[in-house]
Amino acid sequence: MKSEIEAEMVVRAAKEAGFCATLSRRQFLFLCAGAVTSLAALNTWRVWGADAPIVITDNAKGLLLADPSRCVGCLRCELACTEFNDGRAQPSLARIKVGRNMNFGPEGPLGGARMQGAWGNGLFIQDTCRQCPHPVPCATACPENAIQAAPETGARIVDTSACVGCRLCQRACPWNMIGFDEQSQKATKCFLCQGVPKCVEACPSGALRYVAWRDLTREAAPRAALLVVPPEKAKGCLDCHKP
Amino acid sequence: MIGQERHILCQALAEAIREASAAGQLMGRGALLAELRARNLLGPDEPNDPDMGALLAETLATYRDLAALTSISGEILYHVPALLSHTYAGILDRKASPLLLIAEEVRRNSAEYPRPVPLELFEQSPFDLLPERIELSLKTMAGSPEFEDISFITTSSGAVYLFSSRHLERPYAVFLAERADTGLLLNP
Amino acid sequence: MAEVNGGFAGKVLRVDLSTGKISFDDSVEKYREVLGGTGIGYKVLWEEVPAGTGPFDGANKVVFATGVLAGTGVPCNGRTAVTTLFPSCWPKPLVASGHMGGQFAAKLKYAGYDAVIVEGKADRPVWLFIRDGRVEIRDAGHLWGAGIRRTTLAISQEMGPESVVAAIGQAGEHLVPLSVVMNSVSHSAGGVGAVMGAKNLKAIGVQGSGSVRIAGDKSEWERLVKFHLSILGGNNQHVVPSFPHPQSEYYNPSSRWVGAPGKRWGAAEPPIEINGGLYDLNRIAFRSNSGAFYLGEQAWQYTVRGNGCTGCPLRCHTILKVPSVAAKYGIREVAQNTCGGMVFGRSFFKQLSGGLFGPASLEACMVGMHMADDLGVWCNYGQLQRDLIKLYYDGTLKAELGSAEYASFPWDKYENGDPAFLFEILPRIARRQGELGHALGLGTGGLLAHWSIPEEAWTHDAACGYWKLGHPKHHANEDDGQCGVIINTQYNRDPQCHSHVNFIRNGLPLAVQKKLATEIWGAPEAVDGVGDYTPMNIHKARRARWSLVRKELHDSLGLCNWMGPWVASPLKERGYTGDDSLESRFFSLATGQRLSREDLDRIGERIFVLHRALTIRDMGSVEMRSRHDLTPPWIYQAPSGAQAFTKGSIRMDSQDIAKAMELFYEVMGWEKATGAPTAEAYTRLGLQYVAEGLAVKNLVPGGKR
Repeated sequence: MKSEIEAEMVVRAAKEAGFCATLSRRQFLFLCAGAVTSLAALNTWRVWGADAPIVITDNAKGLLLADPSRCVGCLRCELACTEFNDGRAQPSLARIKVGRNMNFGPEGPLGGARMQGAWGNGLFIQDTCRQCPHPVPCATACPENAIQAAPETGARIVDTSACVGCRLCQRACPWNMIGFDEQSQKATKCFLCQGVPKCVEACPSGALRYVAWRDLTREAAPRAALLVVPPEKAKGCLDCHKP
Repeated sequence: MIGQERHILCQALAEAIREASAAGQLMGRGALLAELRARNLLGPDEPNDPDMGALLAETLATYRDLAALTSISGEILYHVPALLSHTYAGILDRKASPLLLIAEEVRRNSAEYPRPVPLELFEQSPFDLLPERIELSLKTMAGSPEFEDISFITTSSGAVYLFSSRHLERPYAVFLAERADTGLLLNP
Repeated sequence: MAEVNGGFAGKVLRVDLSTGKISFDDSVEKYREVLGGTGIGYKVLWEEVPAGTGPFDGANKVVFATGVLAGTGVPCNGRTAVTTLFPSCWPKPLVASGHMGGQFAAKLKYAGYDAVIVEGKADRPVWLFIRDGRVEIRDAGHLWGAGIRRTTLAISQEMGPESVVAAIGQAGEHLVPLSVVMNSVSHSAGGVGAVMGAKNLKAIGVQGSGSVRIAGDKSEWERLVKFHLSILGGNNQHVVPSFPHPQSEYYNPSSRWVGAPGKRWGAAEPPIEINGGLYDLNRIAFRSNSGAFYLGEQAWQYTVRGNGCTGCPLRCHTILKVPSVAAKYGIREVAQNTCGGMVFGRSFFKQLSGGLFGPASLEACMVGMHMADDLGVWCNYGQLQRDLIKLYYDGTLKAELGSAEYASFPWDKYENGDPAFLFEILPRIARRQGELGHALGLGTGGLLAHWSIPEEAWTHDAACGYWKLGHPKHHANEDDGQCGVIINTQYNRDPQCHSHVNFIRNGLPLAVQKKLATEIWGAPEAVDGVGDYTPMNIHKARRARWSLVRKELHDSLGLCNWMGPWVASPLKERGYTGDDSLESRFFSLATGQRLSREDLDRIGERIFVLHRALTIRDMGSVEMRSRHDLTPPWIYQAPSGAQAFTKGSIRMDSQDIAKAMELFYEVMGWEKATGAPTAEAYTRLGLQYVAEGLAVKNLVPGGKR
């Protein structure tokens, strides 16, 4: 009985992740590493043992879409994100990130002709969380499975009760979108404000929209260098990346 | 027509007026009657059209967001000021007569703010008059006692401003025109 | 004393460039009584910079200070006041402030500082590195001689893309009094560049990852922010659009709210049509377009977007992209600025072919922004350009400049309104090259002294716009009768006060303005129709006081006085009323210290009176009425011969203005004969220590009022 549910789960997860509908036996075994040890309270993810990656099968329902051609660089999105959610104005903590690209664009001040932003071609590029489909890089990297999908929105959110502040998620995000709250020593990321994103509300030029989710992960080149550690050595990371 | 039916008709009229205002349009009695018909609210066995005047009076009394305007044609038109302001509604109504459109706007600006208005205002939305039409209208006004209060100023940069001598004295109008034309720009 | 739990960043950074010493003060402990901004600036100058100090002396200090509300989501924040002794103030340099927007204020707060006090003088060019708790004085030898743009790029390469750089250009380096410090491409503080240059301080680079804490309930904060957004108008708080619109009862063709439906940002890719409701909060950035306001309809096709200060939804700076100027003049095709900064280039020319809205005007503005914002030249609110016009056309230049130098200028280009002329004049001002370049850069006072021109030649010429002390009028009687005149007498440069004119130009009918005036200042007589002035009354004096107090308050809270106060609104359902308590409501929530409107205004008045005291001390005279609060004779003249209080004339009456000053002194609680604050006035505002310092020098009027 249990194994039938598991099989169904695996096939569903595979579909969501873009594998073809019919799995070969080899693919099936590959995906089904380890036995189920527990069923999560939430229905949207499963873990097959402590040493297996989290699988978030349901995609987010919505997505932040940011149009650089409309962005006027006021940073009210970043301010709304932190002031209205955290009670303090802290753009470095904002879960939508515009300030870091505003002057020179994602290429930075050494980007030369590729510079965007105020000192480049004038375009302000906003970075938003793509609420990645499976495999979710930040969730996969988390040794505590502290990043899960929220029930109403499917947003990938940090469960601060489980987060131990190891920062591995920050290293894992290809677009460097995971923030870290130094005050609470917890990771933080875009949680779509329970379906009414405050940044969208705050934007004075209509540059931000909250729309139906689609997969953006293949559209923009990764920004951050991804950390690759051989599986047999990965456990050793936890010697240091611990509270 | 019983009271409840009347209430439904009033509600439908209010809705129709609101939709029209949201779309930037004034509604007269004829158009509203047609609306009621289009919504199948007037039964086939009704011998006469309802008394639209009375119905609309009741509608306005019930729904305080509505307003009435007497058109230059004499007709009563209806709108929602929050969606289609009194000022804008008046402009839309007067588009039927370029003479009145220009003259009334000039008079209102001269009386209310007070200030003269630049001629080019009438080429822009919502006036949308062609320069030739404006020129023709001004010529007509110049020869008509009804419009003898409509006066011209040419600023130092050559721009033309209009004011109503009923409400603004020329020296003051000249001052305000210069200020609006270049004064404010040179005084950031 | 009430606990402060938010708003302030907490520290004031003190840097002594002579010794290299870096130290910190506690903002709340030491400066809470003067809030921030100009408050901290005046307090530092009072306590630490003795009378008689020169602007370029090591003993002069320059105070970069922002305020409690900077770096937050309060609309229209992001301002830094830069206070020092102004070299352009003539004949004797006195305290004054420049004000800059951009990103600097917010970043300084996130770095953990409410202000930076720069003291002393470095023995070689340096720049100040600030990253959170780490502060270093770094070598700027490789930057000296570079313009503001390259300096900004170089420092950003060293510090990282999120750093904000406030830099001087060649003008500041050459100790040109008409020079600026500039951050974020186009945001400048006038008058202070040379003071930094004299200290060998090329730039300040700031990076900060911290926060501004909101002490109050975050939901209540969110509601107040959204309320403020709902009562915003367009730029300068013009509350009616420039075009008739179905959602508005009023319009005003002269309004800065120019973003009509269907207009588009034509140089955005692809272009963006303005759509949505008139009061839509997701369309605030489209309301104003300084390019279109100053350059006419042609600017829309070249508009990329709006830009501006951190947190402000208005975007009063316009980014213009004009490809043709790149080829024609060898400059960048993109430039941005607002108001005086935008029209810098065209203001040099008496006439331009095609007029203010023609292509020559556009080109001149593009060239002007390109050059002035890199060289760091200051226009002194347009007085630089008006002085050149006057000197050229009245023959002074031909008479005074050596024939070789005179011949070296392409005057035919100047007379024809050819923007190419700017390439001749601006670099010479920035580098003090030649007699004309040197003289113009001194500011009007220095220029008059240089050529022994009596000041009367300027003070009798209305077109020239000069007011006093080497500086021009700035929204005086041409906008606001006696109230404007009073405001223009009070500072040591042009007053940089917009509280009054934002209201006067808001576009509402006079009857509505008078109704609002009754609510705010107690009587409809507080405002006149522009150019329809009536004799002075006490209500205008109260409005002048309110204007000045709120200006200092905004400058000390990090708010923009070019937008505030927000006492009128576009909303018919509110009867067009805004909220006169907005500043105190935000202050209370941000800091946790509940202050009423009156409480906070008292602090604003304290700051304003501290400026008064500094001026008295440094002039060495209590006779402010006769020696400082001056009006130029041209305001009492009219070329048309019209009398004062005639409709269509802005002519003032000297006896009426004398009465105006008296009424103003009365509402301020100052002595009428001298215009000096009394001991009682100082004490009432918690400035006893100031009164004591002045009393020792006999600079407090005798006895209580």
